[in-house]
Amino acid sequence: MKDSNDWKVGVSTQQSLIPPEAAKLIGTEQGQASGIVEKRQFQRWAAAVKDRNPLYFDAEFARAHGYRDVIAPPLYVQYVTLGVADLVTLRPDGTPGGQPGDIPLPACPRRMAGGENWQFYVPMYDGDVIAATRRVEDITEKSGRSGRFVLVTWLAAYRNADSVLVAEARSSMIARP
Amino acid sequence: MADQTYFEDVSVGDAIPTLSVTVDETQMFFFSAATYNGHRIHYDKTWATEVEGYPNILVHGPLQAALLARAVTDWAGPDGRLVGYAIQNRASAFPGEELRFAGTITAKRDGNDDYGRGLVDLEIRGEKGEAEVLMPGTATVSLPRRG
Repeated sequence: MKDSNDWKVGVSTQQSLIPPEAAKLIGTEQGQASGIVEKRQFQRWAAAVKDRNPLYFDAEFARAHGYRDVIAPPLYVQYVTLGVADLVTLRPDGTPGGQPGDIPLPACPRRMAGGENWQFYVPMYDGDVIAATRRVEDITEKSGRSGRFVLVTWLAAYRNADSVLVAEARSSMIARP
Repeated sequence: MADQTYFEDVSVGDAIPTLSVTVDETQMFFFSAATYNGHRIHYDKTWATEVEGYPNILVHGPLQAALLARAVTDWAGPDGRLVGYAIQNRASAFPGEELRFAGTITAKRDGNDDYGRGLVDLEIRGEKGEAEVLMPGTATVSLPRRG
């Protein structure tokens, strides 16, 4: 199915999958985003995971374990600052296009989450205002079993209204031709 | 989930209880909705198969990650805290497949700023079929000590 000679093609004979307008984003901050932690939203998220952890749903239970109210699931932090999609400028696969966080890789329309590495510092409660900053750490072209791809890595920091670091994450995306 | 795991009671090499889940299209829809995710590979079977070449729609990587974290936090108990969590998306999962989320303790160490607690490192993984790894990773959990 796969041409076994694929991997022998020299990089120098191929056009880079990373255009200059993408490469210049390396090291830059991709704007700031903020949002409010809402109990119903994080409970909907937990319910969709079928994670009925009483720390997320039962305030009395959470207080009995040292919290002042129900807490948000730690991984929910990444959704607190989500914006509003412009359905007119979506890419054909339904993912956002033309947003500040979008990396222009027109040769690689197929996007997949790569990995993520989280550190969690303090819990999040209903009403917390979370500010997120995200920096493009690197954009590199790689070659794997299923061919060439582009690996994009970001570093994100999430802080609450007291500027206390709530969580940090290094995440990556794989973009394929 | 009311059971509490204590630092003294766990040993390197111990396995945490495996969470076994079969995700269906309804759960996937709710997860897309809860994460404001319009990506067609998670709901449009024609798009997923004919345009992207997958055998079916794909279970979201972040849903698998959330289920794997749930396996860890269920085990850690209400006084445990997830402090570190890292995963890689390795393979695709499809609705109707049995997915398993598992972990093994790899290290125990003192917390450096949290008296009365200890840190436990785990190797974690989501898998399906004959131990096909979907999502390898690591986690660090802060656990209370007894007394």
